[in-house]
Amino acid sequence: MSQNAGGTDAIAAQQQTNNTAAIAAHAPNAKASRAVSQPVDSHSVSRRLQSELMSLMTCGDPGISAFPDGDNIFSWVGTIKGSKSTVYEGMSYKLTLKFPTDYPFKPPLVKFDTACFHPNVDQYGNICLDILQDKWSSAYDVRTILLSIQSLLGEPNNDSPLNSYAAALWNNQEEYRKANCKHFRDAGGVMAISK
Amino acid sequence: MNSDGGGASEEDRPRDDEILAFHHAIRAADAEKLEFVGDKEPLSVLAAEYEAGNPVFRAKVEKLGQTYVAIRRARGDGNCFFRSFMFSYLEHILETRDETEVKRIQKNIEQSKKALIELGYQEFTFEDFLSIFVEQLDSVLPGRESSVDIDQLVEKCRDRYISDYVVMFFRFVTSAEIRKRAEFFEPFILGLSNMNVQQFCKTSVEPMGEESDHVHITALSDALGVPVRVVYLDRSVGADGKNTDVNHHDFLPPDCPTVEMPPVVLLYRPGHYDILYTREVQNLAPVPRVEEPQDLPELKGLQEAKETPVKSIQDANSTQEAIAA
Repeated sequence: MSQNAGGTDAIAAQQQTNNTAAIAAHAPNAKASRAVSQPVDSHSVSRRLQSELMSLMTCGDPGISAFPDGDNIFSWVGTIKGSKSTVYEGMSYKLTLKFPTDYPFKPPLVKFDTACFHPNVDQYGNICLDILQDKWSSAYDVRTILLSIQSLLGEPNNDSPLNSYAAALWNNQEEYRKANCKHFRDAGGVMAISK
Repeated sequence: MNSDGGGASEEDRPRDDEILAFHHAIRAADAEKLEFVGDKEPLSVLAAEYEAGNPVFRAKVEKLGQTYVAIRRARGDGNCFFRSFMFSYLEHILETRDETEVKRIQKNIEQSKKALIELGYQEFTFEDFLSIFVEQLDSVLPGRESSVDIDQLVEKCRDRYISDYVVMFFRFVTSAEIRKRAEFFEPFILGLSNMNVQQFCKTSVEPMGEESDHVHITALSDALGVPVRVVYLDRSVGADGKNTDVNHHDFLPPDCPTVEMPPVVLLYRPGHYDILYTREVQNLAPVPRVEEPQDLPELKGLQEAKETPVKSIQDANSTQEAIAA
């Protein structure tokens, strides 16, 4: 599949620093529905996550991986490597993915754990990507999320940045790379030597 | 690193996520006013709604009454077309007990499943949604362990879990049909947006809450092989500026035998779909008709539905109550 909604196609990106506000706005709705309906079958959610894990392990996409964090299938740790020929080449980022109980109706909360210098990532690791917000659909899965974020790294949406400094610097790729490397090392990252 | 640099100047205006949260809050508040599908109401409620309104609307609502007798509202949460389709179709099967039709649609469901896999969708992303819809199909046929009556069907279609799962299944089916026939749909999509077919499916079909247009209706109707009538209630008055006839469009899937009245009939008002009930098929309003259901014309497929008159009376009673209340 190649539907990476990240990058230039990303529609009016949402700033996510105050993500709890959006969640709070959903809450009354969710509460009201739960009163009349059966609780969402958490067994089917965990079964789906198991299937996603299997698919992710067998697909063997280069540069992305993810695995449940301990025994909790609703919380995963993912890794994304910057694609070759981008200013993120050689860098590797850890992310956390937290799945809500109504997954896959609601997207997982995905954050960079490793500090990431990027126009659409804020200082707390929040990511601004339409498919993780209003354009989310159940057709996405962990694999397509990670691939979308990987593609977002090399193709930021500079129109609606969370990090305006990074967005302003983007046009000068040489300077950007320098700032990026410094940021990455400052955050304790170790550059991989790529051939 | 000043990754938050430049943020201060943007403090004054609402951020995108605040706007989005506001949008969700409006929808949530709206949603609490109405179930996913409401009760069946006589068409007179529509006349009452426009009593002091636009004269064109009033004239059209009156004409609507010549063919249709009742309306069932759907919640305006962006999924109203799919929820209306779901209820209307399942209710049609419940009333006609048409096992042949269920077998037919199951073949189409298999085709859609194949198409999704060929398009690169992982089976686990849609299998749960598919099986919930198949369960509902099974439950509206008589003599099954899970068989439901109309009240239970209403209850099921108001259940968030069931309703959302079926809506999502329809969204998958619609998306697969559009992408499978991308060349056919492309010009229509370009007319609606500046997106290509894939972008359109990803942003305007697959996410919950994205509203439906004729592209979605054509695709779902074709994919499942279910004819759909959409009756348009708007302010248009024809070329002479006086014609208040109510327009409708029948979405007829290819190879579909001609039908007098599609099983799914929806009322469209700009931005919203509700379910309509026709005079012929429904035994709703006039009480004498209910008592002599044999006299009803064109009750196709109802010959063996011996319990139907009983259900009709229940329906009529509940409507009488609705009118009284």
